Amino acid sequence: MFAAPETHPHDLPTFHSQISMPYTLTPGRAAGTFLAEMPNRRIVGSRFPDGTVIAPAQDFSPVDGEEPEALVQAPETGVLTAFTRVNGDVIGLVRLDGCANEFPHRILADLDVLSVGQRVAAQWSDGDEGTSITAIKGFALAPDAPEGKVIDLADPAEPLGVINYSMSLDFDHAYGPYYGRMFDEIREHGRVMGVRVSNGDDALLPPREVDDVTHKRTGTWKACGNTGTIRGCSIINMEILGQARKPPYVYAEIVLDGASTRMIHVIDIDDLESAKEKIRPGTRVRAIWTDGERQGRVSDIDRFEVIEE
Amino acid sequence: MSMPRVGIVSTSMTQLRPAWDSAQHIDLISAVVLDVFKGTGLTLDDVDFIIDSGSDVLDGRSISNCGFLGALGAHHKEEARVEEDGLWAALYGVNKIRAGSSSVGLIVAYSKPSESRDIDLYWGSMVEPFYQRPVGFGQKAALGMQAQRYFAAHGIDGKDAAALVARRWAAAAEGGQVAIDAVPDSDAVLASAEAAAPLTDLMISRPVDGAVAMLLSTEDIAARLGRAPAIITGMGTSMETHAFSARSANQLESVAKAAAMAGAKAGWKPSEADVAEVSASSAVGELLVLEGLGLAGAGKGLDAAMSDKVNRSGGALPADPLMATGLVRLAEAYKQLSQPHAGANAPRRAVVHGTGGVAMQTNCVFTLEV
Repeated sequence: MFAAPETHPHDLPTFHSQISMPYTLTPGRAAGTFLAEMPNRRIVGSRFPDGTVIAPAQDFSPVDGEEPEALVQAPETGVLTAFTRVNGDVIGLVRLDGCANEFPHRILADLDVLSVGQRVAAQWSDGDEGTSITAIKGFALAPDAPEGKVIDLADPAEPLGVINYSMSLDFDHAYGPYYGRMFDEIREHGRVMGVRVSNGDDALLPPREVDDVTHKRTGTWKACGNTGTIRGCSIINMEILGQARKPPYVYAEIVLDGASTRMIHVIDIDDLESAKEKIRPGTRVRAIWTDGERQGRVSDIDRFEVIEE
Repeated sequence: MSMPRVGIVSTSMTQLRPAWDSAQHIDLISAVVLDVFKGTGLTLDDVDFIIDSGSDVLDGRSISNCGFLGALGAHHKEEARVEEDGLWAALYGVNKIRAGSSSVGLIVAYSKPSESRDIDLYWGSMVEPFYQRPVGFGQKAALGMQAQRYFAAHGIDGKDAAALVARRWAAAAEGGQVAIDAVPDSDAVLASAEAAAPLTDLMISRPVDGAVAMLLSTEDIAARLGRAPAIITGMGTSMETHAFSARSANQLESVAKAAAMAGAKAGWKPSEADVAEVSASSAVGELLVLEGLGLAGAGKGLDAAMSDKVNRSGGALPADPLMATGLVRLAEAYKQLSQPHAGANAPRRAVVHGTGGVAMQTNCVFTLEV
């Protein structure tokens, strides 16, 4: 076993980041119809050519990929085939009467009274859940519920086209010993420090234990200049999700003096035409640090400015 | 033309911890990549390709391997990512060498689940968004229902599962690879908070951070470099349907299929192995794996689980570096086979298992021999 480096030059907590992605999901015909029928309190299933019915409806069999021949209306009653409790909520698998499959949903009963094979019936939500499957609040025990039947789906609702959806994930990233010191130096001293490549004097930014190119251990720490040279750039003149500032501005890859690697940052511009004239690979730039209290982030450098000759 | 056999030359592993909060992914990765060459005589220059395994969702960045290339030693080398458990990365590497295009491959798997604030969201991202996510179905619910059905079908209960978990934690503590503050006994396992009834928190595998690297080579190179080359003689994979409710209850058919595939190539059955290192997402999941491998009959997984040949390392229950767990199992099996043993009872054959997905949807089996 090998223990990873565990020196403690840094005193920063972990770095919080969030990935929040908007999606437009396409449910397709079967799920789209099922969801569109939720406000109508009808459970839609799929019937296959061999007569098998599954619910909720699917455009393809999850087992063999067969396509259904029709959408049908499944009954609201069935049996419980498995159950558990997570975070206080009882979740079980339900097989609706006349259906060949099971599906997960909330079970509206205490865990300790449940057993496999019990009759259950759907309970509809009192509130407006729209076109979500949660319009079915869950399944309650219904020992005397008569056997339900699958029937034709009369006048099905138009399937939903797309569904707006979002997913958000939160992370607490470790800085590690190298990024840790780099951000410490940015915050405490307002300087950008890297580590020397394994076979030269130029510094790698961000710093790391192992030189990417040689895969040898990197060298000693080195403060890079507050000035540098543009090595790649693009004038951004459109709004895109996740932008940190309002366009137009220049996205630039800048090699700080004394460094060997490019640092990504931005250059403020007054107008597109003068930016096209002045900003290009080879242009010399200077870091403009934020006026406020430094946070130990790359954004402590507010922007870069062109050094007028 | 016969294909060359492929052996394991060396492995390196970080300690497996609940949180490596003092190290980035690249710190863990470069640590094992630097270390894996020690004692082999090989250097990175000898490596023809690198296959790595990890999860973009867990890493919190898209195509995360691109940011890790330097740490992986992959600068200007052939590199490929497997977004699956690390045992599939090894499978990819073995096939590349057997196909004759390469001689030496570096396999790396890593995990930092501690960086996800809510690991259930990682699992939730794997289930279906229209019918499953809104009702709270995810990894825990699936594992809970899997356990509820198994308990009911086979007359075992939480005490049996707790005894297995306690045994695994004790083994992991003895092995020293896993950071453990206190080894829970059966009572502590039973008394831990409910995760997904009837499973308690400790009956579900504990996510941990860590990295593992492995050098693979043709048999002739391995024989010249390694102390006792362990040859990968069989591999098989199979997967269950994504729809959890459509899977067969109380069995993991895909484990049996993968085991049959690997066993057919090796010429022996997993039940004939001297050593078994298997992955699992829960205590019941481990029993289902052992039954799928044929180490026990249906419902008798506990008997096999308590055998000395199964999961000497402690397995995945005390330490599950998601996406690296299967490669850790292979490294542990390699260690058990390659350490010098005296006498005729020295272990010669190992069966290794990796898994992925909600309620162990995908499964991979290796056979390893010295």
